Amino acid sequence: MKKFLLILIISSPLLIKAQGFQVNLQGQKQQGMAGAGTGLMQDAAAVFFNPGGVSFLAGNSASVGVTPTFANGIFLDADNNSVARTNSPVGTPFTAYVVWGPDSSKFKFGFGVYTPFGSIASWENGWTGRYALTYMKLQSIYYQPTVSYKVCNKLGIGAGLVYGTGDVEFKQAVPTADASGADGQADLKATAANWGYNIGIYYKPCDKLSISLTYRSQVTMKVTNGTATFTVPASVASNFPSGPFTSTLPLPQVATLGIGYTVSDKLSLAFDANFVGWKSLDTLAFYYKNATAALPYTKLPRDYNNAYAFRLGGQYNVNDKLTVRAGVALSISPVPSGYVTPEVPDANKVNLTCGLGYKFSSHFVADASLTFENLTRKDNNKALQLNGTYKTYILAPGISVVYLF
Amino acid sequence: MKNTIHKTLFFLLLAALFVACKPNLTVPTASKGNMDPTRYVAIGSTMTAGYADGALYYQSQQNSFVNMLAGQFQLVGGGSFNQPLVPATSIGVGATGGSPLELGYSTDCLKATSLIPVPIAKTGDVTIFNTSVYASEGPFNNMGVPGARIITAVVPGYGNPANGVGNYNPFFYRMAANPATSSILSDAVAVNPTFFTLNIGMDDVLAYAMAGAASDSITSNNNFAAALNLIIAKLTAKGAKGVIANIPDVTQLPFFTTIPYNGLALDSSNNALLNLLRNPDGIYFHVGSNPFIIKDPSAPFGIRLMKSNEHLLLDVPLDSIKCDGMGSYYEGIPNQYVLTTTKIATIQSAINTFNGILLAAANANNLAFVDVNSFYKNLQAGITYNGVAMNMAFVTGGAFSLDGINLNPIGQALLANQFISAINLKYSSTLPYVDATKYRGVVFP
Repeated sequence: MKKFLLILIISSPLLIKAQGFQVNLQGQKQQGMAGAGTGLMQDAAAVFFNPGGVSFLAGNSASVGVTPTFANGIFLDADNNSVARTNSPVGTPFTAYVVWGPDSSKFKFGFGVYTPFGSIASWENGWTGRYALTYMKLQSIYYQPTVSYKVCNKLGIGAGLVYGTGDVEFKQAVPTADASGADGQADLKATAANWGYNIGIYYKPCDKLSISLTYRSQVTMKVTNGTATFTVPASVASNFPSGPFTSTLPLPQVATLGIGYTVSDKLSLAFDANFVGWKSLDTLAFYYKNATAALPYTKLPRDYNNAYAFRLGGQYNVNDKLTVRAGVALSISPVPSGYVTPEVPDANKVNLTCGLGYKFSSHFVADASLTFENLTRKDNNKALQLNGTYKTYILAPGISVVYLF
Repeated sequence: MKNTIHKTLFFLLLAALFVACKPNLTVPTASKGNMDPTRYVAIGSTMTAGYADGALYYQSQQNSFVNMLAGQFQLVGGGSFNQPLVPATSIGVGATGGSPLELGYSTDCLKATSLIPVPIAKTGDVTIFNTSVYASEGPFNNMGVPGARIITAVVPGYGNPANGVGNYNPFFYRMAANPATSSILSDAVAVNPTFFTLNIGMDDVLAYAMAGAASDSITSNNNFAAALNLIIAKLTAKGAKGVIANIPDVTQLPFFTTIPYNGLALDSSNNALLNLLRNPDGIYFHVGSNPFIIKDPSAPFGIRLMKSNEHLLLDVPLDSIKCDGMGSYYEGIPNQYVLTTTKIATIQSAINTFNGILLAAANANNLAFVDVNSFYKNLQAGITYNGVAMNMAFVTGGAFSLDGINLNPIGQALLANQFISAINLKYSSTLPYVDATKYRGVVFP
């Protein structure tokens, strides 16, 4: 006999985000130059930017840096004119690098800890897109031991083994009203980890010019122990697969061509072209251990394109102590039309950066940078039918200290 | 070191400034175009009244699509929208005196408990029927009356108790300016509307369908057209503009599509018994899901198996089916609970004709037209609104109230947006759509 099976499809996908979710804040000198720096060997951040050039660094050094990231977003629904804002907490991408090698050796060893992908977005209560997303946090940390070898005075090669860990949480409202009319909530939380690598070649045909090629592999983050929590009215709870889930999140490969050019003692320029393999993010799938007939899994079409970025930066040594930097970058979003989601409403963008460095002593340098991004994207998400304009300001002031020994 | 501290402070200051620096987007200005929302009147029946979950109650009235429309009109100079609200403290009342439905647990004759719509009280608040609110709250902009047909909308005394029970509409009695002489139309015209919505005609066929086409009747085409023309003539006499809606295919509403035609599950012993009993009538069963037996006077023995494209009504007595052999060993399911293919065709044909009349009238009078029928077809296929997926399925579809006929609040919001779309198109207005996520779907215990 017919029972009213209360099957509720999780109508709205649990989502993840885009190029915005790649963090290009891996070294203050480079940040000051719009993220270009693969071709200019400046400091221990080369562990990230180009392991091949690490062996060309003078002396030994260690650095730590942090870039508090403030993001303010707004959404205007094109259909109902409702406006919502984010109240996202501050993101804290950080870096720590050390490079060491005997003076006489052609080898240098390095270790880096950095946050190549991450994001945090929290939308105001009751916003019109809450069934897509209310909160999302992704944090990844890569640990990278590195060895670099100076083949000759013109060529260096290097490789690093990457161990990546990730921490991710998504929350969204579920359209099950309880007696008070309140929405249900879905909360998916997971940690993940996997291995990858980072390799690079540094070629310096003459004193003024260097050319670099680097490749950071995809790190396929495997979620083996996620926890899904569905807070819904008791009468429908059995239709929701609360409990463990598994998933896979590919953190994409990045290939970079970098050119460094030393114009004079005072002025040098850097140009980077990045290829980011977002094509790997085709579908995000969550498989629930307690799969129900109503919700055996969640599959979210992403259909990302590969992304490109072009970065041009320069630095000028004002005097022996002070260096100023500036840069401009053009980034092409991997998120195609019809797939923009509220985690990070990504867009093609041009952004300007500036920075400065100060050498306090032969052992101690401090660098600071400022990155500002203004993203505007209008889209009608096909799966969600969420149609509107996102605008996001991101301000990322960063600071690092370098100790040379 | 001191410098570093200064720099740190500098960045902290920048950060503080940034927190105050928020992006902005300009909200487009809403404009009324060529429509005049000053005095908006809604003429309609059950849905316009805000009837849902089998009753008219305070919250359901607040969530009528016409009340939502009035809210959008108020963005462009619309006046207040006065509704004949039942008391906020009342549970409300259904057309036959029942209470609203809610999802609850109910134990059937087999002692099986399931989650189904159950009345929130033994009876509805029938004092609503006896209490005229016109003097205290009228006149009304919402002239939606549950159960009203297009032909009854023009009848004076439609709310007159002197006509006797069954011959007047108590929902109209309570809101009529003068129950003895008012018609829905005359009270609507008395408001001197500058704009109107006309969403009526569904009940001209729905009552017949809900009776399993065993009683009641469909309004004749001529009477339908005559009433429509009269309504439009009166409403537009002083230049009011408006929008006319057509009628959805009522046979596809959850009330008619939820109970499966083949819900008769037989194990081998029941199968053998039933075959023994029914094979002489030319009816054969098999182990597994079987169609129910229905009464059909034209069948050789007055009963036959249901066809897959025939509908059982939501009010069919399930306990009789489960425990007393209705639809299987005892008797065929009575006609009043079944829509056969013939009746479905009759109903659909009438709706097509009415919709043709409605469209022609909208065009002839240069009024906006809402294709509610297409909207329901789209809903049947599935609609996603800002991440909420809905369809026409009962309860699980998320858009219908528990009576299986009328929309729930989020469904009403989707309907309101259909009207806005038609109005913007016709009158070059730029009314924003209703944010449907502000309205609830199905409430679960």
